[in-house]
Amino acid sequence: MKRVITYVISIAALLFAWEMASIAVNVINHALILPGPFDALSQVVKNAAELQRNFMASAWRLILAIAISLATAMPLGLAIGREPTLDRFFSPIIYITYPIPQVALILFLFVVFGTGSATKVAMVALALFFQILVSARGAAKNIDEEYVISVLSAGATRWQVYRHVVLPASLPQILTSVRVSIGLGIAFLYIAETRAALGIGLGSFINKHMLFSRDRAFAGIVAMAVLGLLLYIAVDVIERILCRWKYVKRRPLK
Amino acid sequence: MIDVDAVTIDYGHGEQTVRAVEDVSFRLEKGKSLALIGPSGCGKTSLLFALAGLLHPRSGIIGIDGEEVNTPRRDVALILQNAGLLPWKTVWQNANLALLLNGDFPQQNAAEVLAHLGLDNVMTRFPAELSEGMKRRVGIARALSTAPSVLLMDEPLASLDTLTREKIQDLFLNLWHEHEFSMILVTHNIEEAAFLGQRIIVFTDRPAQISATIDNPQMGSIDFRQNPTFHGVMSQLREALEA
Repeated sequence: MKRVITYVISIAALLFAWEMASIAVNVINHALILPGPFDALSQVVKNAAELQRNFMASAWRLILAIAISLATAMPLGLAIGREPTLDRFFSPIIYITYPIPQVALILFLFVVFGTGSATKVAMVALALFFQILVSARGAAKNIDEEYVISVLSAGATRWQVYRHVVLPASLPQILTSVRVSIGLGIAFLYIAETRAALGIGLGSFINKHMLFSRDRAFAGIVAMAVLGLLLYIAVDVIERILCRWKYVKRRPLK
Repeated sequence: MIDVDAVTIDYGHGEQTVRAVEDVSFRLEKGKSLALIGPSGCGKTSLLFALAGLLHPRSGIIGIDGEEVNTPRRDVALILQNAGLLPWKTVWQNANLALLLNGDFPQQNAAEVLAHLGLDNVMTRFPAELSEGMKRRVGIARALSTAPSVLLMDEPLASLDTLTREKIQDLFLNLWHEHEFSMILVTHNIEEAAFLGQRIIVFTDRPAQISATIDNPQMGSIDFRQNPTFHGVMSQLREALEA
């Protein structure tokens, strides 16, 4: 209950700051440049159907991209982190490719995948791949050897070491990188969606309205924020379930 | 019977090779207990890991019941310094780890072991919810769940307060009498070695070499701590370590 109240207060504070900023910007410029939260929110209601369509399009692209990058980068990162031979081979490749701004490849991706959803998903998945790869590798490298020795002495195979030690020990750090990836993913998704001329998605919705009906564009921005928030909550819930052991405290016997 | 014959263990590769254990030999009859004592980091843990089949000696042979040890054996259990519990598994899953990993493990009724150690009402808890003493008990339950004939322990009671430590030493002693396994304990604690070791081997600093062997035939009862022999063995150990 206390948590809900804190959430309500913090969102109210954000809306208040937005309203103040909007008033200030509009007064200084003698024009309606920055719509306030109420303008934007009323546009959310008015454009509910269109926004929902665009929201769903963006949401599934983002979720698919996260799923693809998790499914590829997590096993690879864990293996590189644990197997010195793989690490020696892959680390230079990672160090060279990681700093390349993936946005630079967007036109190339349009050439390869066309202007549909595939490019947008590929763009985001590519960006998140490195985030998750680097964090999975780091997590797997830093596992307390006592856990590994413990399962090896109980007769574990190499696969069982991954299954019972490496994966669960790294999962919290990987989920943290997924959380970071949500913000990053939304940014990349926006870029990808605005580059493709007239597609569906919150990015193109925002882009379409930014010049002539800015309050509608801001309704799209609100929808993007909600998308991010929902995904954050989803990751939190998943972590609470999969990493329940992290949230327990020492307690006396009944 | 455990046979350690002229065992030398090296760590690392090439120029960074460090000798952990040099030319160590001893023999332990079935059902007896042995304490290995020496300075911290002298290499005695490496020897224990070699006995557990987790690392291979550079030279020499380790045998258990006439078979050379190359990989972890089903009848050998290892208890680690911090009990080696996996934080993401419950007490029950941790205690049944060996069974979880190898479906056909000979199972000594794990529930019975847990109940015997007073853990039956915490089976669904995670290790973080337990006191240090209870974590050690879970580690013991895990080791006993496979009904081992050899129990290896690497500083199993380090970082416990004195009373908890003594309680768990008593527990080890009782379990040793009850289950009749052979027991090898690595420790740097003189009092622990004197209480739990029927024979005590003293090691030099790295690389570990045997500097003295002390027989301690009167150990084996809980009140041995009050026995003058106990204190005698402790002084002998202190002298051997200082030498």
